[in-house]
Amino acid sequence: MAREVERYRKPTRVLHWVHTGAFIALFLTGLVLFIPQLGVIAQDSWTRIIHRIGAIIFFIAPLIYLLRDRKTAIQGIKEAFKWGKEDLGWLKAAPRYYFLCDEEAMPPQPHMNTGQKLWWLMVIVFGAVFVLTGFIMWFFKAVAPAGLLQWMVFFHDTAFIATGAMLFVHIYLSIIHPLMRPAKTGAWSSMVRGKVSAEYAKSHHRKWYKEITKTTTSESK
Amino acid sequence: MADKAILYDATRCTACRGCQAACKQWNENDEAIPETENGVKSVNRGSYENPPDLSPRTWLKMEFREVERDGKVDWLFTRRACMHCTDAACVKVCPSGALYHDERGFVAYNKDLCTGCGYCADFCPFDVPRSDRNWLTGVAKMDKCVLCTTPGLNRLDEGLEPACVKTCPPKALLYGDRDALVAEGKQRVQALQANGNSSATLYGENELGGLHVLYVLADSPETYGLPVNPQVPAMATAWQDIIQPLGWIVGGATIVGLGVNYLVAREAKISRDLPEKKEK
Repeated sequence: MAREVERYRKPTRVLHWVHTGAFIALFLTGLVLFIPQLGVIAQDSWTRIIHRIGAIIFFIAPLIYLLRDRKTAIQGIKEAFKWGKEDLGWLKAAPRYYFLCDEEAMPPQPHMNTGQKLWWLMVIVFGAVFVLTGFIMWFFKAVAPAGLLQWMVFFHDTAFIATGAMLFVHIYLSIIHPLMRPAKTGAWSSMVRGKVSAEYAKSHHRKWYKEITKTTTSESK
Repeated sequence: MADKAILYDATRCTACRGCQAACKQWNENDEAIPETENGVKSVNRGSYENPPDLSPRTWLKMEFREVERDGKVDWLFTRRACMHCTDAACVKVCPSGALYHDERGFVAYNKDLCTGCGYCADFCPFDVPRSDRNWLTGVAKMDKCVLCTTPGLNRLDEGLEPACVKTCPPKALLYGDRDALVAEGKQRVQALQANGNSSATLYGENELGGLHVLYVLADSPETYGLPVNPQVPAMATAWQDIIQPLGWIVGGATIVGLGVNYLVAREAKISRDLPEKKEK
């Protein structure tokens, strides 16, 4: 079997999939409010109960991860805010890379490339927006001034549209894009088994690959 | 069908609250009177108003105001219930279509469809919709005046007037074609003005595209506690007319874009890999 390197440790993978499950439940029960014809299935508030259960998991799961291993979590969060000149290189190469599959055009990428970082940053920022606005709408519905609740609905929906659309991009670029096939060597494998082939690591995250192969023990996040 | 309306003449109202009682009786909105060990508990709120506010079981409430006009105390009465706006914020934001305009122009309500989101209450410029809300689960059902059109209790479809109008002893409430009631209201306001009430107004003719509850007032709307120039909150328009369509465009464009990318990238990858394979 081809040599493999570890990309995501088990707690990270578990958090990813728990959060995925919660987000999809929240996404679908929220989408009902955008489609009046689906109002029929939202009768008697039951989609809103599922939405609340999803919200609890959405909030608690990252919190548990953070409390279990604060160092790794903070390191991971910092990664989302590290932006530099390199990202411009990715941006310039992205059209050639993603449309024409020109892998030569892409400069070597670190642990997370710019696109992944953007999605990760959105997850953090909009995740916070979701939690905060949702919390107010849930517990202060009866007492908060109407004007405040209107803003909460507005921000909650804006975050929904931004992350909802990006979710499709995320799924597509992780498992459907031709450069991500076969799935068992790349991103899919990294989130399911935690490992990617050395070949994949070299071609997709060369900078990161060099870093982890420099030291004798291969570390990962 | 021509738009229907209710005309409320505040200058004829004696504040008997018969309309409140008739509303509760017809719509089967019994309200539990809070009891203590000693029996019925009464609360003095410094006013004859009762109950203190609209509620899921109080769709109509008379408000009493003591105001000073021309150096004298005046006791003014205001009818508080759904205004049945033409530009109704609640209809705009209701995600399930539970709130809609019926053929009479009234804001009708299909209670079965209510999901309890509470947007109608957040956006109503008159602060009318009410619901009992479970703070933990969020389970709720909105209630408001539906002008006696609750299925099984539908007076209007049977050609009857709403219960509040039917019961009003001084005929301060009228039900009929909106155009006729607007004309009637204007006439009454003119008479009031001729009698020295220079600020007399007909409220509801043009507010929010025309309310289906019209008010003959002896003074300005704010004296009666009514909002001057009420508006659909800008946020409702921004949300419904800009953000939501934008959401569909962004979502649709994303999916189409990804599809196009897949087709282009697959071709590119195949033609890239082809010569390599030949060499092998």
